[in-house]
Formats: sequence, C-alpha cells, structure tokens
Amino acid sequence: MYDTIIIGAGPAGLSAARILQHSQKVLIIDEYFHPGGRLLGQLYEEEKGSWWNGLKMADELYEDTKEKTEIKLSTSVYNVEFDETYTVYTTNGNFKSEHLIIATGAREKSTPLPGWDLPGVMTVGAAQVLTNFSRVKPGDKGVIVGVNPLSMVIGLELGYADIEVAKICLPQENLINSDTPREALNTLMSLGKSAPSKPLSLAAGIAETARPFHSTAVKLFPKNGVKAMGMPISIKEKIIRINGTEKVESVTVQKTDAAGTLIADTDRVIDCDFVCLSDGLAPLNEIASLLDLKHIYSEALGGYVPLHSEKMQTELPNLYVAGNITGIENAKIAIFQGELAAHQILNNEALSLNTLTKINNERKHAKVKFHKDLDDGKKMVQNFWSKLGKNPSQ
Amino acid sequence: MTERITYHKILGEIKHNPVPFNWNDQTLYGNAGESLTAALLANGIRTLRYHEKDGKPRGLYCNIGHCSECRCLINGVRNQRACMTPVRHGMSIEQQTELPHRIKGGR
Repeated sequence: MYDTIIIGAGPAGLSAARILQHSQKVLIIDEYFHPGGRLLGQLYEEEKGSWWNGLKMADELYEDTKEKTEIKLSTSVYNVEFDETYTVYTTNGNFKSEHLIIATGAREKSTPLPGWDLPGVMTVGAAQVLTNFSRVKPGDKGVIVGVNPLSMVIGLELGYADIEVAKICLPQENLINSDTPREALNTLMSLGKSAPSKPLSLAAGIAETARPFHSTAVKLFPKNGVKAMGMPISIKEKIIRINGTEKVESVTVQKTDAAGTLIADTDRVIDCDFVCLSDGLAPLNEIASLLDLKHIYSEALGGYVPLHSEKMQTELPNLYVAGNITGIENAKIAIFQGELAAHQILNNEALSLNTLTKINNERKHAKVKFHKDLDDGKKMVQNFWSKLGKNPSQ
Repeated sequence: MTERITYHKILGEIKHNPVPFNWNDQTLYGNAGESLTAALLANGIRTLRYHEKDGKPRGLYCNIGHCSECRCLINGVRNQRACMTPVRHGMSIEQQTELPHRIKGGR
C-alpha cells in the first residue's frame, strides 16, 4: 500500500513526487525506459543565450527523486479502479494507494495524407526525441507538414543539429484539417518571443502596420514562402502527397491562393528522406476515462480533459490530475501543476495558493504559447467545475 | 543515409557505448540503452515491419509508444514496440512480415 501513486514520470509526476516523498511512501509508474517524459526532447532559447534544456531538467528531477521515491519504468498501466483506495494494474504487478495522481501528459494528433504510412514519415515529436535525446538524425533532409508552435520549435531544433529542413507548409485540406493560410499566419504571428514573428514579417515584406488579421497580410505573403530564422516557411503551399515505394523519397506540394484554395498546375516535387507531421497535441486521458470521470472538450486545451478544479482536484476523492492531461501547455506549468497536486494531497492551502499564483504568472509570460484561446479554455473548465464538480473544499 | 549526431552545437557531445545486437540474423551496433528505433535508424534501417495484411513497409511513427507502428519480434516475443525497448548487448530483434492468407480471413 502506497500513500500516493503517480502515473507518469514526466515534469508533473516527478515534481509532485519531489514534494510528497518527504512525508509519504510514493510510487511513480512510467511506460518509457527513461524518466522525464517529453522533457527529454525539449530544447529552445528562452532569452538570448539562455536555453531550456528539457533533458537536463529531467535529469535534475530524477536526481531529486530517485532516492526516496520508488520509480518503476518500462511499466504500462492498463487499468485503474477506485474502491475507497486506488488499485493500479500494470504489466509489472498491481499496486494500491490512498491517493492517485494522473500525470500522463499528451499524445500527438495526426491527420492522414496520401503516403503517410511510408517509412520515414513520423510525428514532429518523434523527430525531436531522435534528434535531441537519442542523437540520431531522423534523416538528411526533411519536410514538416503543419504550421503551429510545435512544428516551428522543432524545425529550429532540427537546425541546431544541422539537419536540413527543406520546407514547412500546410497539409492539404480534408475533413479533419482545414487550416487556412490566414490561420497559419495568425499562429506564426502569435507565437510569442521565441517565435519567428518579427523575422517572418520582415522577410515576408509585411509592414508592422499590416496586422495578420488583415487579409492584405496573407496576400502579401510570397507564394514560395520565406526564410525566417533559417526556416523555409510557406503558408500558401500545401503538401498534397508523400512519395516513395519502400520509403520516403519526396513530397508533392501545390500552391494556393490567400484563401487556401489549390491553384491548378502549380504542383512540384521536393526531394527529402523524411517527413514530419505536426498536428498539435491532445491530452492523454484514457486512464481518467477508465475512472468514469466527466470530460470536457476544449479545442484551446487540445481536446478532452477530465473535469478538474484549478487546484488539480477531480470528482473522485484523493484523485488529482497534473500536467498536459489538464490541457496543452509548457513543461514549466506542468511542473507547477505537479507541485500543486502534491500540496493539495498534503492539505497545505498556503503553498497551494502560492503555486497557483506561479501558474497564472507563467501562463501570462510563457515563451511558447500553444493556443491563443488557452485562457478561455481554462475558464470554461472552471465554470463546469463550479457547476458539476464535487469540490470537497467548498 | 542517417547518422548519429556526435556533436551538437548546444547540447555538446554524447557518450557512446556501442553494444552488438542482432537484426534479422545480422549483427549491428547500437548505443547501449538507446531505443531500438534509434539504434536501427542509426544503422540506416527504416523499415521495421511489413504490414500484416497488405505487406507494405512500415517504420517508426510516434517514437514514444502511442502508435504501435514499430512493433517487432524482440527476443522471441511478437508485437513488442521497438521505440519503448532499450537496446541491450546480444538482444535479438526481427522484422514481422505479412501474415499467411488464411489468418487474414481469406481476403
């Protein structure tokens, strides 16, 4: 019997353990063979010369927890039950605890396009883990499909490892994906400080006064794309298929007008040996679903999130969520959320409020913004919580 | 041809501890403890299996255990995810292939 079991050894799970382990018997379970979750591939410049190195952060969190917390890696959770206490069923045995924190993080969404099952096609996250964690090149020359914060950050990361990115552009419109050039430009311009917004607007010849929501800005954007921060970005070209027989050999792109409609006879082939699909992230909520928690859909949060309070409580007693399962945000927020869940378990209201302030501050000043309407998504969840949640503290 | 990033301008150098493993009866070398997907890619191998039904080549896709595209026969056990398995000295990994016609229900 454990005091607390934490599912997920990423930033949220490890930071919760770091607090709980001093007064509790804690078990962390993770499916991967190395602790750190998706911290492991992260690398971006926060301020000039100051780098967010996820691997280093993961190592620090692991150093702080490996003595006092029991950590089971390469262990998959396949069921969870609640009956006064929690029972967690894993490929390495079944475990019971009084408290449970679900910190499972996120998965990458994928929109199919012709040729996407060829070897050499992967998610941007896969390329990130290969490049920054395993240090194996995903290929010599890649094309990134999808214009969003994650694809831009990872495009830069491939560049740091001297891997050529031949093109970053939109996928062809289909039932699931309807990104338009204007939406893509809005995304690029709203990325925050780490983003290529300024170099992009200069390179594209968009005057500072031509705000991205003006249609003129999209019209001004060159058809062949621009080079911003060394990256060849096109918002008026779409990838219509990936070509190859045994593996990726090239992609076919086609030009579009400012509205995103394909222009006939403008298709051309770009040689490459790998393709990264980038369609954003979605909260990984299967385990919360197993416990029959209510879920709320929010596009701004990435998908379905379990109903939770801003203090990480859920509808069930002693059950908490933390990290990207509550909505897609950066790793710093996940760390604070893990800490907040731990303070709640320890009934420390003062430190809980303190941590909540840190979360709100980080949200305001985040260098990488995953969705422009994030605050609205968070508010919606809190509204539902105050209506539907069984908030034990109220 | 894929290759290792031995020096990274921000992350610096990486320790390399080569260990042999068997891929379809061929001896290859991986960096001890890295995922099998990384070890195979560093050896230029992208096709990890042939699809059970149509026999088309498949490779790693998500590389973090969600998609199961990289499933292989590892140390005699079928359908193990190569991306979730760290490479160890002497490990055996084999490509899975198209299943016989009758298993596919005669289609």
